[in-house]
Amino acid sequence: MNAIEIRNLSKNFGEKQAVCGLNMTVPMGAIYGFIGENGSGKSTTEKMICGLIIPSGGEIKLFGRAHTDADVRAKVGVLIEAPGCFPNYSVWNNLMLQAANLSIPNAEEEVRKVLKTVRMEGAASNKYKNCSLGMKQRIGIAMALLGSPALLVLDEPINGLDADGMRIMREVLVDVTKNHGCTVLVSSHILGELEKIATHYGIIRGGKIIREMTAAELDASCRTYVALRASDMEKTKTLLSCKYLRVEEDESECIRVYDAESPEEIVSYLYEKGVTVSEIGTDKIGLEEYYIDLMKQKEGR
Amino acid sequence: MEVQFESQSFLKKAKSMLKVDARRMFTTPLYYIMVGISLVVPILILVMTSMMSGTTIDPVTGEEVVMETFTNTWQAIGSVSGDSSAMGMSLTGMCNINMLYFFIAVLVCLFVSDDFRSGYAKNLFTVRAGKVDYVLSKSVVGFVGGCSMLLAYFVGAMIGGGVAGLSFNVGAAGAKGIIMCMIAKLFLVAVFVPIYIAVSVAAKQRAWLSILGSCCVGMLLFTMIPMMTPLDSTVMNVVLCLAGGAMFSVGLGAVSNLILKKTNIL
Repeated sequence: MNAIEIRNLSKNFGEKQAVCGLNMTVPMGAIYGFIGENGSGKSTTEKMICGLIIPSGGEIKLFGRAHTDADVRAKVGVLIEAPGCFPNYSVWNNLMLQAANLSIPNAEEEVRKVLKTVRMEGAASNKYKNCSLGMKQRIGIAMALLGSPALLVLDEPINGLDADGMRIMREVLVDVTKNHGCTVLVSSHILGELEKIATHYGIIRGGKIIREMTAAELDASCRTYVALRASDMEKTKTLLSCKYLRVEEDESECIRVYDAESPEEIVSYLYEKGVTVSEIGTDKIGLEEYYIDLMKQKEGR
Repeated sequence: MEVQFESQSFLKKAKSMLKVDARRMFTTPLYYIMVGISLVVPILILVMTSMMSGTTIDPVTGEEVVMETFTNTWQAIGSVSGDSSAMGMSLTGMCNINMLYFFIAVLVCLFVSDDFRSGYAKNLFTVRAGKVDYVLSKSVVGFVGGCSMLLAYFVGAMIGGGVAGLSFNVGAAGAKGIIMCMIAKLFLVAVFVPIYIAVSVAAKQRAWLSILGSCCVGMLLFTMIPMMTPLDSTVMNVVLCLAGGAMFSVGLGAVSNLILKKTNIL
């Protein structure tokens, strides 16, 4: 059984079609990285999954049941946009309210537990409005974790988090999936962070999923390249461009050759042309570059 | 891997929702500000109008006109049936306890719109597919809040009447009539609160729209208040207000539920 199964989902806002014929499958226990550019329909899809927006068409199933089923919905934790908290209430009171909404019997204990999970025990008495952006995100996660959800829907949860906050978030998400059987649907623009934890990916563009794959499939699709630095970078780039089809300079001022057989081949070629290579190695493109490449392909660039 | 789902009874859900709403309503400054206003307004009205002279000059015609002021404390609560001043645009007709039904609109609308503005509704409706318990709980808490404002006004009117030295003579209304009048007015809150809730859930986070809409719809029923709850009310008035309250609560509760189900929360 899949945690989320979406078929032909669509949503129109007046004339604008935000989501059109979206199909998506999130297996149980997965951390599903939901990727797409701004306005591609990520948040709208997530809001429809949570029942906050009514779909114009299509079907959403959560754990094999309709997403409107009350029992299923009680098992969904959500952090969309910002945590829904009352600014004048303390962190503790905000969490207690949500615990009451979920009719959690031992609410105090549960709230203490989730605060500990996100390392916010010390800030329980702080007023929500006085919390920093990173703290608010952690409170949002704590709120989503209340009631041991079977599905977490997180929209940009790592926005505003510092390095420590991001690490905590990673640990929490891995822990809930591995140890508690929770499924996580997480959207983020920080693809490097997402790549560290995601087991599945869905790439959305123009309201449609254009690619769905597992982390292993992504790894297999990511091309290997040779990165190098040489004595004369301009000359090197010109020379390599004559021999290879795809030569690029990256942000760390390394030259990347995507279609070379081996680093040795490049070294000997450049040696013949009188260029000395100072650094050379092979690497693989990451999720970010894969995504950018895919977007370029789709745009026909 | 199997997910265990637990079904919760409607009663349990409604109880927890009511607990949350009661905690929110009665621990927020808004409620105490509104009750405070309800207490102070009648004192100010009765004391200030009693200090005014009996006549004034009409700025248009230049003629001397007699100013109507409160002569009896119970005028702040209502007027006996058949009193034409209660229906017109007179000072005693407009500035009595009946105007509080508009103040209740402010309390209820801000209370509901706060759910949507803060994002609390997003958390709530993600985990709760049913909307009936939400509407029910808002109605109950809004009703209690509204009733406490009416009672605060009543207390304020008594204090104001005493400070202004106005008469406490119950006259033709009688003590029983005044008690029935107050009970009827309390039940009448149950007519107005569902209207305000329905408008508020439609307006969502736009508090200004919900207050404006509620006052406009409330205005249509405003003239009904003195007729339904005269100072010399009987059991019949109480029963009518109770029936009206129940009818509006059920009917408009269903409308609010439908609005929440058929419209986007965000």
